[in-house]
Amino acid sequence: MKVFMSVILIAFASVATAQGHLDVRTTVHKQEVFVNEAGESETRLVAAEVVVPGESVIYTITFRNVSGEPADNVVITNPIAEDLMYVDGSAFGPGMEILFSVDGGVTFATAGELTVVEDEEVREARAGDFTHVRWVMQNDLPVGAQGTARFAAILE
Amino acid sequence: MDTANPMFASAFAWTRRLSFLILCCVFSAPAGAVGTAVGTVIENTAVVEYDLAGTPLSIQSNTTTLAVAERINVTVTLQSPQTPVAPGDTSRALLFTVTNTGNGTETFQLAIDSLIAGDDFDPDPAIPAIYFDTDGSGDFNSGDQPYTPGSNDPDLLADESINVFLVNDIPTGLANGLTGRSELTATSATGIGTPGTVFAGQGDGGVNAVIGSTGGEAEDTGEYLVSDVQVSVVKSQLVNDPFGGNEPVPGATLTYSIVVTVNSPGVAVASTVRDAIPTFTSYVPNSITLDSVAISDLVDTDEGEFDTSGVPSVVVRLGDLTQAAGARTIEFQVVID
Repeated sequence: MKVFMSVILIAFASVATAQGHLDVRTTVHKQEVFVNEAGESETRLVAAEVVVPGESVIYTITFRNVSGEPADNVVITNPIAEDLMYVDGSAFGPGMEILFSVDGGVTFATAGELTVVEDEEVREARAGDFTHVRWVMQNDLPVGAQGTARFAAILE
Repeated sequence: MDTANPMFASAFAWTRRLSFLILCCVFSAPAGAVGTAVGTVIENTAVVEYDLAGTPLSIQSNTTTLAVAERINVTVTLQSPQTPVAPGDTSRALLFTVTNTGNGTETFQLAIDSLIAGDDFDPDPAIPAIYFDTDGSGDFNSGDQPYTPGSNDPDLLADESINVFLVNDIPTGLANGLTGRSELTATSATGIGTPGTVFAGQGDGGVNAVIGSTGGEAEDTGEYLVSDVQVSVVKSQLVNDPFGGNEPVPGATLTYSIVVTVNSPGVAVASTVRDAIPTFTSYVPNSITLDSVAISDLVDTDEGEFDTSGVPSVVVRLGDLTQAAGARTIEFQVVID
């Protein structure tokens, strides 16, 4: 019991500190086609609250360094919900290497390096196999700087 | 699954993988063959790991929530091949399958249209004209219940199907070779519209219902072919006795020849010849031929067999026969006991 209590205390301490360093927000949008004043079809992003199967959504993760020191080794990881399928080639993040997982987030590699076993045969992983997307920042996140990571997924 | 546990996430920030594994679990209902179930809630939380002054830390984002609305979709698929009929036939059925390809439960209204352009005659819908394949036989019979609009409109779960017959009478005085079509339409009771049309609050459990790619309705068309076909079957025999003569004595071999000919326009669909071996004779193994090509005695993928399941018989399946295709000749041999 004592051990458990101390873990809880450390936890509170960590949360308080961590939340003071980076401000992280996730939003989800879908693309809407509308007709502009010139009568042309255009697309715009609107907040997504309700989706139907076959519809695509775009997740955007923004993070800002609100601490007094640069953050390094910044890694953003986002699971792909079971009913969503990653849209091939959609992950985007300036200054970031993009990795994927096909094993529930245990291991990560670039899309071309991943394989899965299907019917006892090894094949190259496809977008539908991905369980997580990860963005690895190549440089430090300076004080006050903001980064953006984005990917699209389709509702199965 | 509770995803909100930042205490754990941060307390174990030094084991990054563990922290993020806890967070990656989101609630979702199992996805069916036709798409994610209506009412499913999809949550998303990102995790950011970083080092600050050499200390590894981790933080999670807010959690976004998406609700899965009902998508209304339906397909109608004709199951019957082109159906041969004779002029004046009554209650000739065409079988269709109606499938709810949406992701929620939906009620569908059914309608028949036998006034279809592009055919040669209009079948005459029976009264009633739409039946369910209640007994699941695939054949229209007295066990099948009629459809009454507004009374027993089929309620289908996501991915569920129901088999439906359209029943028509065939007018008299039609020539062979003419075709008549009949169409089944299934329409969502929630509504129809262009894909993307929203019916607010009318989906399962009060969520929005959205019209899918089929516009909320679907149809398929079956076809009758007037095929009052006259088929002649002529059987002859040749006797070869053991002494070089043609006497039907014990030990003599009888070679039977059956010639099947269509003598009218039209198609004799799925024609099969079954001929019992005469008493006091024994079948000569592997003696069946069709147009001089051997057919094995075994029940296999070729056109026939020596069937010993009942009265020993030679069975040959000739398929669809037409006058143009010409006569088919079956031969087999027996020996007089």
